Amino acid sequence: MAQVQSTNIMTAKEGDKVISSVGMIVTLVSFGMLFLTLMMAFALYRFTAPVWPPAGMTRPDLLLPTLSTLMIFLSSFFYVKFEKNTSTGVVDKKNLTLTLVLGLAFMTSQFLFWSHLKSQGIFVSSGVFASIIYAFTWIHAAHIVVGLALLVWLFGALNSGDKLAAVKVSSVGKFWHFLGIVWLIMFVTIFVL
Amino acid sequence: MAFFEQEIHDAPSTFLSKYVFSFDHKVIAKQFLWYGIAFLGIGGMMALLIRWTLAFPGEPFPVLGQILFPDTNGVVPPDTYAMLFTLHGTIMIFYAITPILIGAFGNYCIPLMIGARDMVFPTLNMLSFWLALVSAILLLASLFTPLGGAAGGWTSYPTLSTLIGSAGVGQTLWCLALFVLGVSSTMGAVNYIATIITLRAPGMGYFDMPLTVWGLWLTAVLNAIFLPVLGAGLLLLTFDRVFGTTFFLAGAAATSGSGDPVLFQHVFWIFGHPEVYILILPAWGIVSDLLSFFARKPAFGARSTALSMTAITILSTVVYGHHMYSGQMSPLLTQSFMMLTMTISIPSAVFFANWLGTIWKGALRFDTPMLFALGVVFVFGLGGLTGLYLATVSTDLYLHDTYFVVGHFHYTMAASVLLGGFAGTYFWFPKMFGRMMNETLGKWHFWISMIGLNGIFMGMMIIGHAGMHRRIYNPFVYEFLQNLIPLNMFITYSAILMGSAQIIFVYNFIHSMYKGPVATQNPWNVGTLEWTIPSPAPHYNFAEIPVVKCGPHEFGNPNLKGKDFQYQTEELVKA
Repeated sequence: MAQVQSTNIMTAKEGDKVISSVGMIVTLVSFGMLFLTLMMAFALYRFTAPVWPPAGMTRPDLLLPTLSTLMIFLSSFFYVKFEKNTSTGVVDKKNLTLTLVLGLAFMTSQFLFWSHLKSQGIFVSSGVFASIIYAFTWIHAAHIVVGLALLVWLFGALNSGDKLAAVKVSSVGKFWHFLGIVWLIMFVTIFVL
Repeated sequence: MAFFEQEIHDAPSTFLSKYVFSFDHKVIAKQFLWYGIAFLGIGGMMALLIRWTLAFPGEPFPVLGQILFPDTNGVVPPDTYAMLFTLHGTIMIFYAITPILIGAFGNYCIPLMIGARDMVFPTLNMLSFWLALVSAILLLASLFTPLGGAAGGWTSYPTLSTLIGSAGVGQTLWCLALFVLGVSSTMGAVNYIATIITLRAPGMGYFDMPLTVWGLWLTAVLNAIFLPVLGAGLLLLTFDRVFGTTFFLAGAAATSGSGDPVLFQHVFWIFGHPEVYILILPAWGIVSDLLSFFARKPAFGARSTALSMTAITILSTVVYGHHMYSGQMSPLLTQSFMMLTMTISIPSAVFFANWLGTIWKGALRFDTPMLFALGVVFVFGLGGLTGLYLATVSTDLYLHDTYFVVGHFHYTMAASVLLGGFAGTYFWFPKMFGRMMNETLGKWHFWISMIGLNGIFMGMMIIGHAGMHRRIYNPFVYEFLQNLIPLNMFITYSAILMGSAQIIFVYNFIHSMYKGPVATQNPWNVGTLEWTIPSPAPHYNFAEIPVVKCGPHEFGNPNLKGKDFQYQTEELVKA
């Protein structure tokens, strides 16, 4: 039964592109709803509080979150270049490495931000604003860790000359850009506004 | 849309790859079926313990009581009672109905009915089952923690579910178990949606799909969109419990700042109301198909049935507020939610009328699957109509949190979905295991279950209307409820009757698996794609991918000679 008709391989390759983009879009809708619910919770706290930030808390310093935003924006930028090269058949490890390094830099910046908050005496239990800052950045960071693992996994796919490499690159790209957009929304609404 | 053909893989040869770590959607479906039936038993035993406590407060539960509660001489203690109703709800909804209706029938029917060789993501499918198993272990482990399992109700409202209301690790494990299960169900949903979009057999448009597939597809869409909402709520609740965040703490409970306990109710019901439809949509789909199959008539208005199910799917996302009328919601909002909820009656009435239109003047065959499908029509009618009183603000304020609510949602979620699940089990059993189930035992199972469950849930609505609240350990400490003791005893006897009927089912199921008469390829004379292949289905499903030429319900065509149905692979016979 293991015989494979040669015509099927052609169509299957075309099909892999379709199924992976359908699958990835549905997955991102799911992830989107997770973050949307968190943003809804934030909006509710924000608009029902008489003063914001509540409980005498001061707004956190914007320097490190701005740095994080810059990092994740640049990493997405290099990923776009990488994806473009891959689709034309070029194995472009330089831009993928840049994406990975900037992703790690984003995580470093987040760690520095958490320890900065800690040094200011803002802990996770110091009121609802602190809870929001910590919990939301944790949840986002957990997804970033998955994203970084996927970037590392792409190196393997590129090395082995996988026929599906272009499909994988495009799927991981969707996820990575999605995380960038989520961070941008969180940065603007929670930290800036 | 884009169609492509999956390769035929080699048959798995070892025990592990064939039955345990299988990529085959049919094996995963059976794994989910066993998983669901096992939890149906556990949840059912919990229901019997609850019913016993309500009918005979202070009396020891026979036989099992001495083993389970030696400290109280066999009487269910109050804290255990709270844990029992919490876990009964959780287990029945997330660990019994979801795996059977969505995990088992979703996995089994979707590829077979759309003419595919497997799901598009077989690995994801396998992962979905094993994550569900991890979740089950987490939930059952919570029973063995020092303070027992979760006891804050299946809705787990704060502050009942924060550390103030339930100390101990049980509630945390509950949150984690449901989170993992949510991830598992979302994986399944992604798989179902992508499979139905990309793998339909050539010639099969969306309206040529059987309505079962429609129901499962809409369910998957709701699952993919709304399970993450519950996931977010559970994450925040877990953070509150483990890390000391203050999302759901307010007033004196919060040491500083202020959270909002009501937020969790919003998040929970934004997920929770679609969840109701997640559970019932597959049953609706199965029943819509079976009524046509056994009435030997085309499904009346099949297209409008599919469209009204879609309309309900969309409407179900904007009505969640009717769960919170008594939560100090502004009258403007309650009125809006009432209007929107009532709007759901319109598409519901459309497909209900279509069901009746399908059996009207049909040549009905009362095989066991048909009996169960007709049972769903009856109990869902009752459940749906009683929902109107709960959607109306003025009556809901009186009925809120009484046994009327319990009766209503058991009629829709328990009775309808359970009967729909049994209908599907009896119907697809020949294709799953290659043998027929015993018809006589099936009919006994149906009638005893039907009498039992109507006794239970009708009784619940009466005691609810009389004012008995849910979730009370011993309601008869209140004088005005003492008249309800005989009725409560009647409900409990009905519950025991219904529980004993399930023993017939389990016996029939296991016995037929090995000793039942061998099934032919198409025992029910039905034309959908899964009946064009041998029973049990081979591991590659279709040796040759079928080409679909007509709809799934082509029965009683007067131009047909010699038979009253035609396969979907046959050109529609015209005069």
